[in-house]
Amino acid sequence: MTKRTWTTSHKALTAALAALIMLATGARAELLIRITEGADAALPISVVPFAENGVIPPGDKVANIVRDDLAMSGEFRPLPAEKMLSLPSRREDVYFRDWRMLGQRYVLVGELSRNGDRVVARYELFDVNQEKRILGETAAASVNGMRTLGHHISDKVYEAITGVPGAFSTKLAYITLDTFNGKPRYRLQVSDVDGKRAKIRLESQEPILSPAWSPDGKRLAYVSFETGKPAIYIHELSSGQRTKVADFKGLNSAPAWSEDGRSLLMTLSKDGNAEVYRMELASRQLTKLTNHWAIDTEATYDHSGDGIFFTSDRSGGPQIYHMKSPGAEPRRITFGSRYNARPRSDNTGDYVYYVHQRNSAFHIARTNLNNGEETVLTRTESDESPSVSPNGRMLIYATKQSGNSVLTVISADGGAAYSLPASEGDVREPAWGPIVD
Amino acid sequence: MTNQDRRVISTGTAPWKSPVALSVFLHLLIVVVALAGWSWTSPVDEPPPRSISARLVTQQQPEPSPVVEPDDQPDRDQERRAEEERKKAEAERRRQEEEARKIAEQKAQEEEARRKAEEERKKQEALAKEQEAAKAREAARQKAEAEAKERERQKAEEERKRQEAERKQAEEEQRRLEEQRKQEEAERRRQEEEARKEAERKRLEAERRLKEQQLEALAEESRKAKEAEARRQQQAAAARAKEAQMLSESEKYQALIRERLSQAWYPPSSATEEMTARLQITLLPTGELASVKLVSSSGNTAFDNSALSAVRSLNRYPIPDDRETFERYFRQFTIEFNPRRLR
Repeated sequence: MTKRTWTTSHKALTAALAALIMLATGARAELLIRITEGADAALPISVVPFAENGVIPPGDKVANIVRDDLAMSGEFRPLPAEKMLSLPSRREDVYFRDWRMLGQRYVLVGELSRNGDRVVARYELFDVNQEKRILGETAAASVNGMRTLGHHISDKVYEAITGVPGAFSTKLAYITLDTFNGKPRYRLQVSDVDGKRAKIRLESQEPILSPAWSPDGKRLAYVSFETGKPAIYIHELSSGQRTKVADFKGLNSAPAWSEDGRSLLMTLSKDGNAEVYRMELASRQLTKLTNHWAIDTEATYDHSGDGIFFTSDRSGGPQIYHMKSPGAEPRRITFGSRYNARPRSDNTGDYVYYVHQRNSAFHIARTNLNNGEETVLTRTESDESPSVSPNGRMLIYATKQSGNSVLTVISADGGAAYSLPASEGDVREPAWGPIVD
Repeated sequence: MTNQDRRVISTGTAPWKSPVALSVFLHLLIVVVALAGWSWTSPVDEPPPRSISARLVTQQQPEPSPVVEPDDQPDRDQERRAEEERKKAEAERRRQEEEARKIAEQKAQEEEARRKAEEERKKQEALAKEQEAAKAREAARQKAEAEAKERERQKAEEERKRQEAERKQAEEEQRRLEEQRKQEEAERRRQEEEARKEAERKRLEAERRLKEQQLEALAEESRKAKEAEARRQQQAAAARAKEAQMLSESEKYQALIRERLSQAWYPPSSATEEMTARLQITLLPTGELASVKLVSSSGNTAFDNSALSAVRSLNRYPIPDDRETFERYFRQFTIEFNPRRLR
């Protein structure tokens, strides 16, 4: 009895002590582990082939389009369908354990059904680890709009996972050069971001250069030598209507749209020296933005839409300058090498991208405007004409491959590269179109 | 010489009071006057009567005083003075003898006349002597009486003295007894004192012992407290060591968890360095995730999701084998996702 009492009190004491320790432990600051770096790898995602109900047009499979889009971004590593343990199309068929075993973080399932001349896609995105649906929508497209549907789903998935709007439904403009009947053939083409569904908008035996998208994505400005001398045109894509807006003596080059689409930046040498001007499209009124004995060219609006980046050789060689507002003193941005040109701003205002020469090779580089840190993004050589995707996450540029000029898409931080399918001849001067609703 | 007598007489003032003494005195006075008359007519060659007085003095000494010394001194004085007196008297005598010879020669003729006169005087003297003798007898009787009285007195005195002595003895005895009593008393007191002292000593001893015991108890207590403190410190040191060990162990596993999560985390494109998501993790002792709670959102759903997904992606968290370390650090902890270096 006494013994039991003792044991009981002993237990009580132990419990009290334990409680005390717990209390003391509780009082202690809880362990905090900081994760400051993420995986230096693409995110594993499974895009399960969509189930098809009814007659779905053959050809491009929506899931494949999505898978390729995500892969192209460099941020995702889609699992090949043949490695999947099951091909669910609905939530109830998704066994998260299986997907976990496969190391997958996200699973996209969906099904297509025919609704008249439209195809309706119902799709769901699951977070495998959280076993949670993070996206579930339906989208429809015309029967022959499977690519549109696919890119749309890619955008949604991309945004759901990354928090950044996808740019897979946007367009690319670029110039191809080949020879036709022994003569050079320059063609202005517009395609999906994956290079598919390319359409020729202009063809010329004379060079076409510097296509630039209007903010609404409906017009292109470019330089054409079709008259024997450079002139700047604005091309209405829906109608094909072209307007020559700048045909001054000397240089007429490097057009760039203002945010509101009402004016163009351009380089003119009508007064003898190449300077950056702004032209009000309605009035064709010109405003000279730079005034320097050196060459000032390749202007582009910065993130604010007020200031401009441009290339100037006022320091002896081409370097990138930033004029924060019209008339302000330009500030030199690049110092890393003797050649930095063709600046392109991104939508965040954090970076400026440009062609950067190093060791007699040309790369695409970017400079962090916040700290001046320069990063070379490409390993290829003879890189030129960078263009940033409207969501700031991807970058397309032209480079040489097997003697030909090709377009390559990389993630904006220099990650995995995705080369657009090569056509005959050279592909150059890419311009990434805006996101349009 | 008269001075001497008077002095001697005056010495015996005490007997004046008795009529015997007065009578003795008067007899003596007559004798002295007669002698003086003799001495004046005939050369005095007999020793001065001082011896008598001296004897008287001696006799008249009331009791054998234990303090004789102080009277001795005047006696020696008297002898000295008597010697001187004697010498002087010698000289005087010689001178007087000379003078007497001359006078004798001168007065030889008168001898006859004088002889007659002398006879007359002798007759008268014999008468006087008879009277004297009567007186002497009377005196002797008186003397004997006095002596008897004296003896009686002395006897009484002796008796008194004896009684006195007895008394004294008794007193002495008493005193002695008293003394003894006192001694006994003292002894008793001493013993009592001793007993008291002993008692006191015992009391003190007891007190001392008690104190000692108390001190011992205190010392013991202190020793125990010290031991407990030492034990506590040892335990604390051990706890600290354990703590340190747990901490280092914890750090090891923190690093492992960090590494695993870094590999598992795919910061979304929209991530910025300003974004921070905090997740509270609760693990099972097996290292499996028990629960995760988003305690602080980055404000970006994709970012939060990426963190949640990363945290949930680990099948088993690397955790220490030591259960205590696990409980302390890894039972529940917070993970903060905050990209410092974005690609």
